Amino acid sequence: MATTTSQQVLLCPAELAYLHSSLSLTPPIRPDGRTPTHFRPLVAETDILPGTNGSARICFADGTEAIVGVKAEVEKTRGVEEGVEESEVREDEKEGRSEWVELTVEIPGVRDDDGGTAFLSAMLGEALLSDGGFVKRLWINRRWHWKLYLDILLISPPLSYPLPLLSLTTHLALLATRLPRLKSEGVEDPFFDDDWAAAPYLYPRDKKSGKALARPPVTLLVMAVGRNIIFDPAKEELAVADVALAVSVGEAAETGDNDMGGKGRKLRLLSVRTIDPPSRVTPPGVPNATNAAYGAAGTTQKQPEARMAEAEAVEGVWRAPRGGAKPLVMAALVQKTLERGGVADEVLDALEGVDLG
Amino acid sequence: MPITINPPSLRPSHRNDSSPSADPGSNSDSSTGGTSLTTKPPPDPIIKPSSSKYSIVTPGEVITSDPQWMRGHGTYIASSTTSITSSLAGTVTRTNKLLSVRPLRARYTPEVGDLVVGRIVEVQAKRWRVDVGAVQLASLPLSAINLPGGILRKRTETDELQIRSFFAEGDLLIAEVQQLFQDGGAVLHTRSLKYGKLRNGVFVAVAGMGGGGGVVRSRRQVWTMEAANGGGMVDVVLGVNGYVWISKHVEMPEGDKGASAGITNMEESVSATMYSSQNDRIGVETMREIARLRGVVTALVENGLRVDEDMVMKGYREAVEMAMVAGEGGNEDVYLGGEKGSQLAAALTAV
Repeated sequence: MATTTSQQVLLCPAELAYLHSSLSLTPPIRPDGRTPTHFRPLVAETDILPGTNGSARICFADGTEAIVGVKAEVEKTRGVEEGVEESEVREDEKEGRSEWVELTVEIPGVRDDDGGTAFLSAMLGEALLSDGGFVKRLWINRRWHWKLYLDILLISPPLSYPLPLLSLTTHLALLATRLPRLKSEGVEDPFFDDDWAAAPYLYPRDKKSGKALARPPVTLLVMAVGRNIIFDPAKEELAVADVALAVSVGEAAETGDNDMGGKGRKLRLLSVRTIDPPSRVTPPGVPNATNAAYGAAGTTQKQPEARMAEAEAVEGVWRAPRGGAKPLVMAALVQKTLERGGVADEVLDALEGVDLG
Repeated sequence: MPITINPPSLRPSHRNDSSPSADPGSNSDSSTGGTSLTTKPPPDPIIKPSSSKYSIVTPGEVITSDPQWMRGHGTYIASSTTSITSSLAGTVTRTNKLLSVRPLRARYTPEVGDLVVGRIVEVQAKRWRVDVGAVQLASLPLSAINLPGGILRKRTETDELQIRSFFAEGDLLIAEVQQLFQDGGAVLHTRSLKYGKLRNGVFVAVAGMGGGGGVVRSRRQVWTMEAANGGGMVDVVLGVNGYVWISKHVEMPEGDKGASAGITNMEESVSATMYSSQNDRIGVETMREIARLRGVVTALVENGLRVDEDMVMKGYREAVEMAMVAGEGGNEDVYLGGEKGSQLAAALTAV
């Protein structure tokens, strides 16, 4: 469970009650009028930092903005005995290690060792590393490998839970990442082509269409209020969530008969984490019946049934959600994200449309 | 399509409709020996586009070294020089011989009599500290609120002890700036039946009086309007500080308004609900129209337009019309972000 202390929202019980009731309608009415699966419009660009191997920037209309830069370094692989010469390399010999990727997240106004920030970087790293495919790309030969530094910066103060924004920006930056072309062969010390134009992409692309053949994962934030499943929640929506999940989705390898399923790609669930929604620590509303400052007299009638009123729900009065998430809701959340032609699919489609350098 | 990703575009130039004459380059009164304001040719010509209509200055940038100009807000004269230097990032405004810099973005500066929407962030022994979007927190003394039932008496220790039953942390309230301190801190009061705790609606924070688009001081900051599509009556509160509250209109209790009702009696019944944090029942149509109004306000701000009663009403009518044209889109028609917001702004600025 992630702590959400760093993004504590201060909302009054009447506001929370209103938001909760409008989000639990069918269909829900979100405060900004979006449909449940609708994301906030983004502005994205790549290759903005000339000193990096790959970079991207994404911003929301409200000014939330994130920048990701990827730097690569050649590093000697530890624990490989010298002198063992082997000329040919088989594909299955390639291996990667998770320490070849270093990921730092920086959020303004939050300490580096803050629980929330640590969770964010762990979450993003987990999605990247969970299938071994990513670190395998960093393999040069038996003795050398690339070390990748991912610097993920949120530039604006966090107006909403920044996980999806950071994940999408990282996705684009990795897609735009290029590593110098290797000129050496075999296990000799690597040297590289200094022609940057010849540098291949980390995620190789189709020669003709320029489309990436494989793609990094994305992490989406999904929440549930009542029976409604809501994507890309804004801060105040998250404040009334019953359950919030961070779902990491990657593209599964094509199995050949792609035409059968019609449009859409095959998606693979990489990881799921529950986010502790801030709704659990919100103050409860006071029903009029027990409100000392309510009523014409203004005199405090001593409240004998104050304890009882605490236990039962009164319409229009906010109560923080209690207890865990229902398994059915959790399953629905994950399924809704993963379904073919569903939300994650369309997000990946949209990211594909971004002009990559 | 649930997600739209756009390529970056150059931001539309800063819309500054209130100071159309603020063009230092034109130098209209050259008969009095006025000289151009762009005195010093910048060392690096790339930095300063001299042809742009609104010249934006940054803090520390020399506006002019000509002694004929007087310095106004947002500028200073550094010691041992005579040149006027900007202390803000904003546009240069010229009023006769007075040079001032209007900030692009600024926090709200309170003025006495302003109607503000605020959020309680701290409860102290005899007062509340209220976030009104200003540099400092405003304070609301316990003696400056109405007691439930409209009773007039001295505040006692009992009131101090149950201070959280009036306002607790996070509560939203509508208040008026009563007094200002030397350092710009504000003291609020809620001594009117119009003021008090807010409920039955949604909150949205936009830019306030300061710079750029946002809420501007106008004749009416609070009004009740008839919402379209059977939404009923909706209250809109535009705080001068840029905090906006849109809620369902609650009728004054009519019951005992008849024979026995004196003015004091009415006050009693109205102020009974003053500190309630329980929402009334709100219809789906009303919620939808409230969301639409909120969308109008955010669309106005995102497109750099001012927010006042006139613009919000026009924008709302336009939004209802746009939704009607779009047809039976179910829930979709409420959304006013991104492209639809720019469409709305374009329709508003066209007329």
